[in-house]
Amino acid sequence: MGAKPQAMIDQNRQHEPETVPAPAVHPSYLRVFMTFAHNSLVRDMTFRSNFLIECVTSLSWMGLNLGYYLLIFRFTDSIGEESGWGEFQYFVFLATTLFVNSIVQALFMPNCEEFSELIRTGGLDFALLKPIDTQFLVSLHKINWSALANFFFALGLLGYSVVRLPELPGVAQVLLYPGYVACGVAIMYSLMITLAATSVWLGRNQSLYNFWFYITNFSRYPMEIYRGPIGGPLQWVFTFIVPVLIVVNVPARLMAKPLEAQSWPLAVFGLAAAAGSLWFSRWIFTTAMGSYRSASS
Amino acid sequence: MAIIEIEGLAKSYRIYQKQEGLLAAVRGLFHRSYRDVQALRGIDLSVESGEFVAFLGPNGAGKTTTLKLLSGVITPTSGTARVMGHLPWRRENAYRRRFALVMGQKNQLWWDLPAQESFRLHQQIYCIEPAEFDRRRDELVDLLGVQTLLRQPVRELSLGERMKMELIAALLHSPEVLFLDEPTIGLDVIAQHNIQSFLRHYQQVRKMTVLLTSHYMKDVAALCRRVVIIAHGRIIYDGSLSGIVDRFSGHKIITLIFPGNTVPHGLGQFGEVLEEQGPKVKLRVDRGGIAQALSAILDRHTIEDVSVEDPPLEEVIAEAFSIAAEDLSDGAPEDDVPSPLAGQG
Amino acid sequence: MADFHSSMHGSAAALPRRNPLHTWWTILRISIEERLIYRGDFALGTLMRFLPLLTQIFLWAAIYQAVHPRETIAGYSYHEMVAYYLLTQISRAFSSMPNLASQIALQIRNGEIKKYLIQPVDLIGFMFLMRVAHKLVYYVVAFAPFALVFFLCRDFFSGWPDATTMAAYLASLVMAFLIGYFLEATLGLVGFWFLEVSSLLFIYMLFTFFFSGHMFPLDMLEELGGPWATIVRVIPLQYLAYFPAAVFLGKIQGADLAWGLAMQLFWVLFFIGLCRLTYYLGVRRYSGYGG
Repeated sequence: MGAKPQAMIDQNRQHEPETVPAPAVHPSYLRVFMTFAHNSLVRDMTFRSNFLIECVTSLSWMGLNLGYYLLIFRFTDSIGEESGWGEFQYFVFLATTLFVNSIVQALFMPNCEEFSELIRTGGLDFALLKPIDTQFLVSLHKINWSALANFFFALGLLGYSVVRLPELPGVAQVLLYPGYVACGVAIMYSLMITLAATSVWLGRNQSLYNFWFYITNFSRYPMEIYRGPIGGPLQWVFTFIVPVLIVVNVPARLMAKPLEAQSWPLAVFGLAAAAGSLWFSRWIFTTAMGSYRSASS
Repeated sequence: MAIIEIEGLAKSYRIYQKQEGLLAAVRGLFHRSYRDVQALRGIDLSVESGEFVAFLGPNGAGKTTTLKLLSGVITPTSGTARVMGHLPWRRENAYRRRFALVMGQKNQLWWDLPAQESFRLHQQIYCIEPAEFDRRRDELVDLLGVQTLLRQPVRELSLGERMKMELIAALLHSPEVLFLDEPTIGLDVIAQHNIQSFLRHYQQVRKMTVLLTSHYMKDVAALCRRVVIIAHGRIIYDGSLSGIVDRFSGHKIITLIFPGNTVPHGLGQFGEVLEEQGPKVKLRVDRGGIAQALSAILDRHTIEDVSVEDPPLEEVIAEAFSIAAEDLSDGAPEDDVPSPLAGQG
Repeated sequence: MADFHSSMHGSAAALPRRNPLHTWWTILRISIEERLIYRGDFALGTLMRFLPLLTQIFLWAAIYQAVHPRETIAGYSYHEMVAYYLLTQISRAFSSMPNLASQIALQIRNGEIKKYLIQPVDLIGFMFLMRVAHKLVYYVVAFAPFALVFFLCRDFFSGWPDATTMAAYLASLVMAFLIGYFLEATLGLVGFWFLEVSSLLFIYMLFTFFFSGHMFPLDMLEELGGPWATIVRVIPLQYLAYFPAAVFLGKIQGADLAWGLAMQLFWVLFFIGLCRLTYYLGVRRYSGYGG
């Protein structure tokens, strides 16, 4: 009853299937994703009060964070001299951070944490059996809807701040912005799945998670602040080696600051960094799956 | 043409003392001590389409490893296997659509959701036509009698009910080959029986090829004509269930019942006395010496009743395992020897 | 946990009239040994924990650069600001109690609490010693990474404070530990009444993060106007991070210092009392239900 792609037939001529093979079909990844989303929502709604508590706590966390920066801007007009990060520009930056983080938390965070647990316990077996891309299945099968509360908070903050900018962003900027947010999400996701996949070799490793938080912490500030004998090299490493500084900085600059000439190479590099990160994480993932040992329960 | 062909399939693991933590992990890159464990030492096997084969063996014998290799979850160290012409560990979608694996100790259904939501997901992943999906699901649900449980979260189901749902999930895409790893583990007798009769019926109707591992002889006796015994990573027997006794047991059990309540002395010379209770005595006698022993006993004693039986299957199989273990201790000195290999990260 | 307890119980059974101090010492020693096993990860983890601080330093450098490097913000120069953040790390090393409340709540929920009711050991005291052991080992192992970071950042400090300030600083750190312990233990004991305390703990964490001064010097709120500064002065959270750091930097001196220390002592006694009362009421309720 199973499908048999054309390419396979030559190789397996010795075996004539008992049943007539159905035409080659690939699962519709979009529909599988929608089913994931639906199932996750059903689950979240069975624990409704928990869901609400999570929304409220993450929103209050964000509220207090915003309060911190409001406080800071009581004392200064901008972060860095002549850096262009005034209060509302900085809030655009903050909103961008929130967009990226809430998407990563909604789509990938619970899955990547579970992934390394699955590697350790041997629960990954079932994922490997399914006729669908394993990385897709592992990365997206649960969706944490409550993390999207921050997404809407960010939407509000972005709207509030953008209209208060000295110069409204143009059409091109508005159109490119979601694309670059997506690039940022891709970079964060790549870093996360790469770290989780190393569990195949290193076992479950709490320090690796701390590592993720500490590294991504650098992405939450404008890259201009990393200066001097320590900041300079840090900026270089986190731009070109582990490109976490691209994640928020590129889309936020695009939106908040008039397009400066020197921003363009960075914008182009942002695309390359996202593609490179995805490629690298794919490579690590595939290699890790080759070494998977399926622990017995 | 065989549907499953296995040639010289071997799998060994390198076990090293893994330590939690980043520092330990970094240290582990430079210094590790390994231990090679051979889970499978090269097996050959061929299974015809429509067969129902049982794998028997003690824990850690390599049964589950074999199923995991055939389902492509792990990659072999050497040797090869083809299932329906596919190399399993290439993990092609074309192959993965044609078989299923059910493990009694791991579950794949969403814990907090009703089973039917997981079934829907399978429909999407396996690209099952909606009409076809409804038909198969209804059929399986009917056969297993779980109509009323479809809307209940899986976590609220009993172990037996959960296993039925796992089976439905695995069979929705009509796999041609089914691997069952301890499907009845932990179930009560009734649930075990239900699952056995379902599997027997479904396999007969569908002509699926099924490979089953189990600890319960009842599963095996009820379902499989062909039994493969694996011990210490090797196949030590491949044949019918009844053939196991002929092959591995050199003994039969003679049960004697004497008149009155007295048991005569000196029965030990005919064989090992297993049990002596009231007028009943059980003797274990070499297969070749049965006729001689019986006539000698009948010569000397008055007997009310006598029966000659094969020893229980479980005992014979346990005996077979221990024979395999003895063979191995001569043949494989490399097993489980710790080999600290410093500096070979 | 269970191991210490059974071993301790075993020795107590062998020598029924043993000096109680000796029993406590045994618990402390075993706890220390257990903690030391993880010392390598500890040191590395501690060093990593300064990474977020690094970004804070860069952030403040950029802020001061914009307001002109010579100026102060809420009375803090750039150097003082960085020094303040470094010092709050020390405050938190004393006052933070990772997992304490959730551990107590868990023990209540799964019934492990019963053994404290049966055996001649007091839960609060037992957990206190475990925590002291935990902290002592932490200080031993964390000393090197802390020393390294402070040495690298020595230019941000304008020398050691005088002996009186130093004594006051040490006293405030010890009291920060006591407030932290008894406050969080009380939160955990709320588990006698509510099965789920994790949201309560989250709210506590949230408030601590902002209103203990962990995130910014509380003096910044003075210039904000409104009720914020008053609220923060009245609630005891400032003693967990802000107060010791401000004492070290000489921001609080003379009568203010004496008053601050007295208030801190008041809060220590308050939370010891509250913790005892909560435990007493909780156990009474628990026994009433029959466990």
